[in-house]
Amino acid sequence: MDILVIGMVRGALYSLLAVGFVLIFSVGGILNLAHGTFYMLGAYFTFIFYSLVFRSGQSGTLISSLILAVISVSVFACLVYQVLLRKKIESLVYTMVMTLALALFVSEIMSLLFGVSGTSVPSLVEGSLSISGVKVIQHQLIILPITGLILPALWLFLKKTKMGQSIDAVSQHRTGALLMGVNVEKATLVTSGLSAGLAALAGALIAPISSVVPEMWLFPLIKAFAIAILGGMGSLTGSIIASFVLGYAEVLTSFLIDEQLTEMVSLVVIVFVLLFKPSGIMGYKAA
Amino acid sequence: MALLLEAKNLSKAFGGLQALRDVHLTVSAGERVGIIGPNGAGKTTLFNILSGFYPPNSGMVLLDGQNILGKKPYQIVNLGLTRTWQLVKPFSGMTVLEAVSVPTFSHRAKTRSSSDSAPKVDIVGILEGIGLADKIWEEVDNLNHNELRLLDISRAMATHPRILLLDEPFSGLSPREAERISRMILDLNHGGLTVLIIEHRLRELMKLVQKVMVIHFGEKIAEDTPEAIIRDSRVIQAYLGKRSPEIGLA
Amino acid sequence: MSTGLRKITSRLFTYPPAGFVILAALGIYPAVSGNILHVEILLLAVVYAIFAMSWDILTGYTHEVNFGFAFFIGGAGYLSGALNIFLAFPPALSIPLAALAAGVSGILIGYLTLRLKGPYFSMATLAFAGILYKLSFILYKITGGEEGISGLKSLTSGPVTDFYLMWMAMVGVYFLLLFYSRSKHGTILKAIRADEDVAQSSGINTAYYKVEAFALSGLFAGIGGGLYAHAQMHTGPVMLSGSLSVLVVLLAMIGGMGTIVGPLFGGILLSILNEALRVVEAYRIVIYTGLLIVFIYLAPQGFVNLDFVRQSPWLKRFFLGKEVSHGPSSGG
Repeated sequence: MDILVIGMVRGALYSLLAVGFVLIFSVGGILNLAHGTFYMLGAYFTFIFYSLVFRSGQSGTLISSLILAVISVSVFACLVYQVLLRKKIESLVYTMVMTLALALFVSEIMSLLFGVSGTSVPSLVEGSLSISGVKVIQHQLIILPITGLILPALWLFLKKTKMGQSIDAVSQHRTGALLMGVNVEKATLVTSGLSAGLAALAGALIAPISSVVPEMWLFPLIKAFAIAILGGMGSLTGSIIASFVLGYAEVLTSFLIDEQLTEMVSLVVIVFVLLFKPSGIMGYKAA
Repeated sequence: MALLLEAKNLSKAFGGLQALRDVHLTVSAGERVGIIGPNGAGKTTLFNILSGFYPPNSGMVLLDGQNILGKKPYQIVNLGLTRTWQLVKPFSGMTVLEAVSVPTFSHRAKTRSSSDSAPKVDIVGILEGIGLADKIWEEVDNLNHNELRLLDISRAMATHPRILLLDEPFSGLSPREAERISRMILDLNHGGLTVLIIEHRLRELMKLVQKVMVIHFGEKIAEDTPEAIIRDSRVIQAYLGKRSPEIGLA
Repeated sequence: MSTGLRKITSRLFTYPPAGFVILAALGIYPAVSGNILHVEILLLAVVYAIFAMSWDILTGYTHEVNFGFAFFIGGAGYLSGALNIFLAFPPALSIPLAALAAGVSGILIGYLTLRLKGPYFSMATLAFAGILYKLSFILYKITGGEEGISGLKSLTSGPVTDFYLMWMAMVGVYFLLLFYSRSKHGTILKAIRADEDVAQSSGINTAYYKVEAFALSGLFAGIGGGLYAHAQMHTGPVMLSGSLSVLVVLLAMIGGMGTIVGPLFGGILLSILNEALRVVEAYRIVIYTGLLIVFIYLAPQGFVNLDFVRQSPWLKRFFLGKEVSHGPSSGG
């Protein structure tokens, strides 16, 4: 039962992370290796806004810090796209290397500003509950309803709003959308912000119950990628399902095998899927 | 004449689309065979299967009696079957000479003995005959579309093939250039090279080949001499239509 | 002069003069300068040059970006360290063995990733390195976890001799890789880089050459990693880290991918820059990584590949050497 809950929480968190990653890839063709960095910045910015700007102990300020953090990371991501990436977006090598270099750079800045051992952020909801005999930190449970609100909101945005529909069109067929008059660059810009915002939200939510350290960009990136290839790089529903699959796989590994191996799960997933999945990635020359 | 290439019951589907349906193909040693048909009929798919880039869903392919299904493309080249590419991007980032030298590193080129049944091929001669001799030191990226096409053909020739599959070799060439290529193919054929050509340029093709296969919606609907094909009512209806008067055989 | 020697000299004549210049400069300076600190800095620069060049022979010539290069560096470092500490192998034995192991794993990984392209290839390499990195913590009883393995036997008796050993390794790696890249192997890799299907259509077993390049890349990285570990007398998780992988990529790319000489310059000069920034020690890493980003932005293909270098006959000749063709008559 505890596995059920913890796995669900983890899956929900991962889905926030993965959806953004898949979105920016299918819309912009950008394999955003700085995605984990946006996640990390969500956590750090929450800390910054909370402890440095507001300096008060109320939940309200914490929520505002969180929201501010998400917004600022989104803006940052838009800037990154506009300044660094837009020029050479067709070159996959360039975007991969540039986003990775950025990840390294930001990581070093965080290390400089806040030290290697990390910082801490208080929880949105203090205390813990007991669910069928297992102590569950209440904050973790908050993640579920938040995700439950955000993801459908995202779906609505993509399907019902004009910008959302443009984004959807571009993700399906970039040239086709271009020919139909969609402002592809604008759509990509918005998607960058959106994608980063989701990652930042995940980071901000996890901040109180996990360590906030400068290296925390790498493994979320790896996990996002693992989920993306599990669920299909173009499918949002697929990635949500895959997020839960990974979440549960990790929790099960942790409980049943060895806690230390949890982080290996995503790596192993990547290796196995890439090496043994026979479709599409192995290109035969098109007729 | 011995059968050099033989394919039977070839079928290939992509998802719901049946690209090839039960196609038979025979090419005798020393023959010049053409394949024509509307776009999307399955001709390039056929080439991809023959040269090992796709596996068929069913059927078999025999090269000189030997089953080549399941072999990798480079292995098939080393057995004597080479193809050219319709969408041409050979070896950017290198010089022309470097590009044409690549096939010489193949197993086939290195172990060829003089008793081999493939025609003797002289790279410099090919480059001269094809008109690229003065561009030997040029970067491939600086060549124009026509030159790239010629380069691809030279590359294919440099593999010392016994049978050469040409995918729209005349595409984009002027009539004079096409004539030149045609003559070169004819010369190579007289020297022993078997050729199988996909083309839309029917005027040039019909003068060059001895036998024509017509593919339509993945099926072979006719196979005969060029003269007979242009008179075949099924072919006229499916493909030639108003084009028949253009194809003089003079 | 015998024909063999004549052939070698004429071939050397086509190699980039820039390479000779920088190798000579690096070889002479420590002998004339008494500054041990400088020698240690240059030793690190040489190490990174070895890494950058080894990385280039695969990615520069196939354009499949290897993001997990630390796998070979740290893998060899740890293996050599372990052989040295636990089995008392001398470095003269443990380093070559470790490098060999790295080369063999290059064959393995190369084979496993054969059919992967673009981002999938890159993420797979990242994943492999990540697995090894995690293992170094999980298997902390052998690897020392966070602390790594200390007390490795040093290479030679002093920093200057250590440097010259490294220097000789770098010279060896440089010439071997240059020779390789200008041989038929390099031509074939370039063909594969341009279009693998067309390369196959030319009768080339592309899988073999890709794996071969991977193995060579791993072997030389392993040599560098093993030497580095013993020069520091320590090996730790940082040698397996993603940061190291990324750094190597940046050094090679800023220098100029696909040239061998570009990464040589990138590795040496950027490492010296890193040290020069010690004046602002607190901000050094941040400034350094920031500068790397700026450099990549300004010259995505790298310095040696810049238009103004390529189009100027003098600069081109200096940095890239003379163009040599590899038709059948020159025995490729």
